[in-house]
Amino acid sequence: MWKYVPFAFKNSLRNKRRTILTIASISISLFLLGMLVAVYHAFYYREAPPEQALRLVVRHRVSLTFPLPEYYEQRIRQIQGVREVCPVSWFGGIYIDRRPEHFFARFSADPERIFLVHSEFKIAPEQLKAFQSERTAAAVGKSLADKLNLKLGQKITIKGDIYPVDVELTIRALFESDVKGSDYVMYFHRKYLEESLAAARRGTVGTFGVLADSPESIPRIAREIDEMFHNSDSQTKTESEQAFQLSFLSMLGNVKLFLLSICGAVVFTILLVSGNTMAMSVRERIKEIGVLKTLGFTTSQVLLMVIAESVIIALAGGMLGCGLASGVCLLLSGAQLPFMPLGLPMPPVVLTISLAVAFAIVFFSSVVPALNASRVPITEALRHIG
Amino acid sequence: MENNLVIETVDLHKEYKRDEFQVIALQNANLQIHKGEFVALMGPSGSGKSTLLYLIAAIDRPSQGRVRVLGQDLQQLSDKEIAHWRNEHVGFVFQTFNLIPVLTARENVELPLLLTNLSKKERIEHAETALKLVALSDRMTHYPRQLSGGQEQRVAIARAIVTDPALILADEPTGDLDAHSAQEVLTILTKLNQEHGKTVVMVTHDPHAARYASKIRYLEKGELLPEGSPPPA
Repeated sequence: MWKYVPFAFKNSLRNKRRTILTIASISISLFLLGMLVAVYHAFYYREAPPEQALRLVVRHRVSLTFPLPEYYEQRIRQIQGVREVCPVSWFGGIYIDRRPEHFFARFSADPERIFLVHSEFKIAPEQLKAFQSERTAAAVGKSLADKLNLKLGQKITIKGDIYPVDVELTIRALFESDVKGSDYVMYFHRKYLEESLAAARRGTVGTFGVLADSPESIPRIAREIDEMFHNSDSQTKTESEQAFQLSFLSMLGNVKLFLLSICGAVVFTILLVSGNTMAMSVRERIKEIGVLKTLGFTTSQVLLMVIAESVIIALAGGMLGCGLASGVCLLLSGAQLPFMPLGLPMPPVVLTISLAVAFAIVFFSSVVPALNASRVPITEALRHIG
Repeated sequence: MENNLVIETVDLHKEYKRDEFQVIALQNANLQIHKGEFVALMGPSGSGKSTLLYLIAAIDRPSQGRVRVLGQDLQQLSDKEIAHWRNEHVGFVFQTFNLIPVLTARENVELPLLLTNLSKKERIEHAETALKLVALSDRMTHYPRQLSGGQEQRVAIARAIVTDPALILADEPTGDLDAHSAQEVLTILTKLNQEHGKTVVMVTHDPHAARYASKIRYLEKGELLPEGSPPPA
């Protein structure tokens, strides 16, 4: 079979301009498909880092905008398998102005526990101590500090929007993480926020971060927490941190359907381009197919050679497209991307899927014209004027 | 079967449908060609000579009758078996050369050998030998567009003989050539017949080309005229 490959290769280059244009269109489509599948994979199939895999987030069952009573913390602690619990509230607010470059995640949290729950954050012991012992202290992630040029000892003011208070903070600790971008965040004392609020708004928490003893305990702990507060005024929804992050994505709409629809459109486009090219290419060569059969090539051998040509084109376009997509993903690996704390990796499975799709599409789009051509009787093929 | 009988057709009949009309292309053709003969099939356009050639080459199937070539009843073979049989036993030369434009002369000649078990090296050797036989050893790496019509037809002949078939069938091999090139091609066919013992059947309507054959059979309106008949008016 391999001895036919050089012949198929030469045939695929018969009309160079058409071949190059076909390869270009397949590679652009595959680039798009590769990127979309990579995004889909990053959203829905990436494995959580080991520390994140042990974390759960407890929030109000109705909406994240509804707070939970502070005392839930003690009850959650009693559940078997819970190693640590930390109340965390999204403060929001405005740093300097509303421009996107000044936006980052700001949480009020329990300073004694936040770095126990987020054990992936590396923080110097003396800085941790300084952060915990000062009521107005803030701990800032290193990538955030680097970007906004924040220094230890620097005073910053966050103007409240969700909460009707401005918080004046002093940066006392910088922490970092091996997981790129996950330290683009700032924590400050929950007590400081509580004391700044009117009495009526005190005693509530946005979410609880829960650290489990093992990934296997996660489903059970989530179930038990939700059952525990099932009959209370504030029912909870507990999920893994990864699922919690994805729930923000779903607020944008049916992202899954959106991505799959674009993937479908891309696949359909390649199908049309490839089908059209192969049909044209085969139609021009009906007579040659008659000659090959006269020389002794069987219908299946002719079929195989025509399909091999399209596979060569598909592989060239597919590899080029996937190579481009991998390159772009590599460039984006250090970027801060929404909902993709690990950047946009291009795992081998995504490349394999993209190439397999290209291969399958081109294979199926060439089968019909190839089959039709290979079945033309020799006498008819030899008379064909293409 | 006589030992040296290469082609035998018995009451060979071919008809086909063109639009709503039934066309009789060949009727009751009884032909015997012996080993080492060079036979020319002559007749006006539409007389059925190419149809007869295609039936002998098993490129087409007869509507009725029997074709026996090199001792093989062709009707008994499946399409796949016929393809293998043709590759092994028949070399076919077309009027319009029909070389593959993306392949060099040597690669074109090598093409039928892809169906054999020969190694790449052996295939190249065989192709080069065939090209030498048609005096084109200096054009091996040329593409068809870089060759003259006569040279293209000689490459086509090399392709037809590269598998060393016993039977060479040529359909108007000089039809697209100038007189000089036609003579070269006919000389090669004669050489293959006389020096290499190949049986050659050539369709032509050129009396000059037919003179190279050892025997001429005429066809008229789908009928094969009896041996020794004068050319149809």
